[in-house]
Amino acid sequence: MLTIFRDLFHYNREFRIGALLTGFIVFFAALSLVSPYPPQDVYVVPPDLPPSLTYWFGTTSRGQDVFWQLTFAIRNTMLFGFAVALLSRLLSIAIGMWSGYKGGIVDRVLMSINDTFIVIPLFPLLVLFYFVMRDKMSWPLLALAMACLGWAYDARLIRSVAMSLKNREFTQQSVFSGMRTSEIVLQEHLPYVLPIVFYTTMNNMNWSIGLEVTLSVLGFTNIDTPTIGVMIYWANQHTAMVAGIWWWIFFPVLFVIILFIGLFLLAISMNEYIDPRSRLARMGGMRG
Amino acid sequence: MSAAGPSRGAYPVRGTSKSGARGDPAAPLLDIDRVGMTYVGGGLFRRSAVRAVDHVSLRLEAGEPEIFAVIGESGSGKTTLARMILNLATPTDGTIRFLGADVTRIRTNRDRMAFMRQVQPIFQNPFEAFNPLKRIDRYLFVSARRFAGARGRVDIEVTADKALHQVGLSLAEVKGRFPHELSGGQLQRIAIARALISAPSLIVADEPVSMVDASLRMSIVNLFKALRDELQVSIIYITHDLATAYYISDRVLIMQRGKAVESGNARAVLDNPQHPYSILLKNAVLSPDDAGRPMPPAGAAQDSSGIPVSNEE
Amino acid sequence: MIAAIQSSAVNAAPATERVLTVDNLRAYYQTRYFGIEREVRAVDGVTLHVDRNEVYGLAGESSCGKTTLIKTIVRAIRPPLNVVGGSVTFNFAGRDCDIYALNQSDLENIRWRHLSYILQGSMNVLNPVRRVQQSFVDFAYRHIGQPMPAFLKLIEAHLHRVRLEPTVLDAYPHELSGGMRQRVTIALASVCRPDFIIADEPTTALDVVVQKDVLSMLRDVQREIRSSMILVTHDIGVHANVSDRLGIMYAGRLAEEGRTVDVIRNPVHPYTSHLVTSLPRIGDLTQKRGLEGAPPNLADPPAGCRFHPRCPLAIEICRAEHPPMVDLAPGHRVACWVTAPPIKPGALQ
Repeated sequence: MLTIFRDLFHYNREFRIGALLTGFIVFFAALSLVSPYPPQDVYVVPPDLPPSLTYWFGTTSRGQDVFWQLTFAIRNTMLFGFAVALLSRLLSIAIGMWSGYKGGIVDRVLMSINDTFIVIPLFPLLVLFYFVMRDKMSWPLLALAMACLGWAYDARLIRSVAMSLKNREFTQQSVFSGMRTSEIVLQEHLPYVLPIVFYTTMNNMNWSIGLEVTLSVLGFTNIDTPTIGVMIYWANQHTAMVAGIWWWIFFPVLFVIILFIGLFLLAISMNEYIDPRSRLARMGGMRG
Repeated sequence: MSAAGPSRGAYPVRGTSKSGARGDPAAPLLDIDRVGMTYVGGGLFRRSAVRAVDHVSLRLEAGEPEIFAVIGESGSGKTTLARMILNLATPTDGTIRFLGADVTRIRTNRDRMAFMRQVQPIFQNPFEAFNPLKRIDRYLFVSARRFAGARGRVDIEVTADKALHQVGLSLAEVKGRFPHELSGGQLQRIAIARALISAPSLIVADEPVSMVDASLRMSIVNLFKALRDELQVSIIYITHDLATAYYISDRVLIMQRGKAVESGNARAVLDNPQHPYSILLKNAVLSPDDAGRPMPPAGAAQDSSGIPVSNEE
Repeated sequence: MIAAIQSSAVNAAPATERVLTVDNLRAYYQTRYFGIEREVRAVDGVTLHVDRNEVYGLAGESSCGKTTLIKTIVRAIRPPLNVVGGSVTFNFAGRDCDIYALNQSDLENIRWRHLSYILQGSMNVLNPVRRVQQSFVDFAYRHIGQPMPAFLKLIEAHLHRVRLEPTVLDAYPHELSGGMRQRVTIALASVCRPDFIIADEPTTALDVVVQKDVLSMLRDVQREIRSSMILVTHDIGVHANVSDRLGIMYAGRLAEEGRTVDVIRNPVHPYTSHLVTSLPRIGDLTQKRGLEGAPPNLADPPAGCRFHPRCPLAIEICRAEHPPMVDLAPGHRVACWVTAPPIKPGALQ
């Protein structure tokens, strides 16, 4: 496994850049562990100071150090995105592969449900969710809600892979070797599905982060916990742009863009080169 | 006619002896009785029916291993027939009985396993027959565990090694390798070895050598002969190649567009075909012995009514 | 040091007109992937020639290099496949032309007008979203150089000559059967009456009955327009019926070459003899044998004669040096130390 990453790092430029960007963000998020200020405290530093040597990213109108706030914000945003991606992957894989392999009535029922979820307008639904939950709204709950809404696109993708695999001869060989259905799906087919899953995980993270930022900016989440969106929300509340406190918005946006690009580059590079050495070995021996 | 015996829904669970333990001892190994497959196509307003297999019958006796060749071109239904025998497709009419039990009635997992223990497939494309991402010994080991009852690493490997020796290979050569590291001939042999692990009484081979290199082909074909002669396995050998069918089969069945056109003893039918389609097929074979003789002029092959007799359109 | 009388066919003044001369052609796949360099010697020193109105058959198994050889001859190759040595010279309309020395526009003028091809998948040639007539226009119109009505008449006459219904022009490729499509492809390849046609496994995917028809048509067309042809197929039966001369390729090199009837009736090279005798035939019940081993991996071929690991006749020198092509009889060349040893100078024949 590590050799794969090492090869990718050496020879694939997109992977190298993506890994560096994402690595930087992860490192930055890890700095939150050594933050001198608890994330939710306000007025711990003089407010509205521009970036300087003491306060690298400046301070907010609420008296928080943008640098340290950002470490928490980006950490929470990333963790949130990751949680949503993970949960929704589990759903997509399970539903997609079961539906693809079984076919028939199971497939039709699951895909009808799937298509319903694709068509549902997510944003109003999440807003409604907020209004219903109100004070009981928490990040894990929101992550769960988004995971339950975010599996549909990729389930179809995985299903089509599963369907094509079912018709391949080695699947029949597995059946006649005595493998159980669960063994076939998990051991024979999953390796084909995993490259897609990696790609969709990155995609899904980007999607969920984007949605979270949107909801937070509008105030539809728990605004006490700092995330990128919440920072921008507070900046808007204090009319930062009008007041000239540009650094309050600029740095969160910059960092979330870096995160997006890093994840995207990782996604597309891993998509193509999931296992370079075996691809190379498979290249050996020309035919004809 | 199919031997009498209580009509069972389920397939006998333990059928390790070649003539069928719990099944009727006098039952034929494989009894295909006027079997047919109709594919219905078209949309809501216009339906079209295609008869992929139309009233085909054949019968293999238990205890008399033979190689039975099914010859046909594309669209003849031979592959559909093979799939029906393997219980991968359900016939729309007629019955297929294996050792007296109706194949389409196999429902429970136990029945299915018992059936697969007796009937094994060999596929056409050796490069597709194994998962390219997985090691190839895996299939041998799983078969050993599930069908030969092997327990423990040593037992499993010994079983796999024995099966590989029957096809002229050994576990040492094969262990840990991926499919792309081996040639088509070796892969096909490994597929045969895997099929032999469960000691089947019937192997259904669908064009097993058409994608194997010419220099390796005859070893595999001879291997099938050895399976019949030494291991007492009956083989249904699907092919479009009349010469190979002539070489190894005992009986043949020639199919055209789903129908059985001519059948009987292999040498008799192929030396002296009677049906116009069989004659057409035999005349169309291009043999190396033709070298030096001029080729007959072009002109679509037609029967007396002027309608092309080939399988096209 | 054995000074061999090597095959001098290339240098002899040809009695009949020579349309294609391939001289010691070498084409390798050279890849560099993740720091690992690999060189696959797909075509490794092939010398052959084709005369006018002659069908040259090329036989061999998978990974013997015959398809790569064809692609190299028509210059349809791209990196990582590179020509590493040798030359390919055609003779079109009386003029010699080195296909690798041409510029792009000359190449386009030659293609189809003087050099055309018939591929295995007819759908690789016929545009699936255009009618057959459009394909004729796409390929041939600019070469024929006549106004459209005259051009269409010409097409119809050509189809009539090859016994195809003109109604075929209005059809889309998918509306025709496989054999029909292949016949259309042959008509398309021959409409400009090219000097040279390359046919790569033209009937392999077709049914046996249709195959015979299509090959007859191919043969008739070739005879009528007097073009030369290279027919590539692994099926010796096809060669026996269609090819005038036959070249057997193994692992990127020619093992034997000669008139088809000579090569098939009296094969000399151990590989050829095995290939020919191991084929089952109707009416023949003798025991056939398979060959041990497998065709070699061209990225790491055996030293010396590439067939030696599988050859029942291999001797010491086979493992060390590759045998040269030797003229056994006029027009019959073999590369084998054992069955066609090169003759020492001064020794009696």
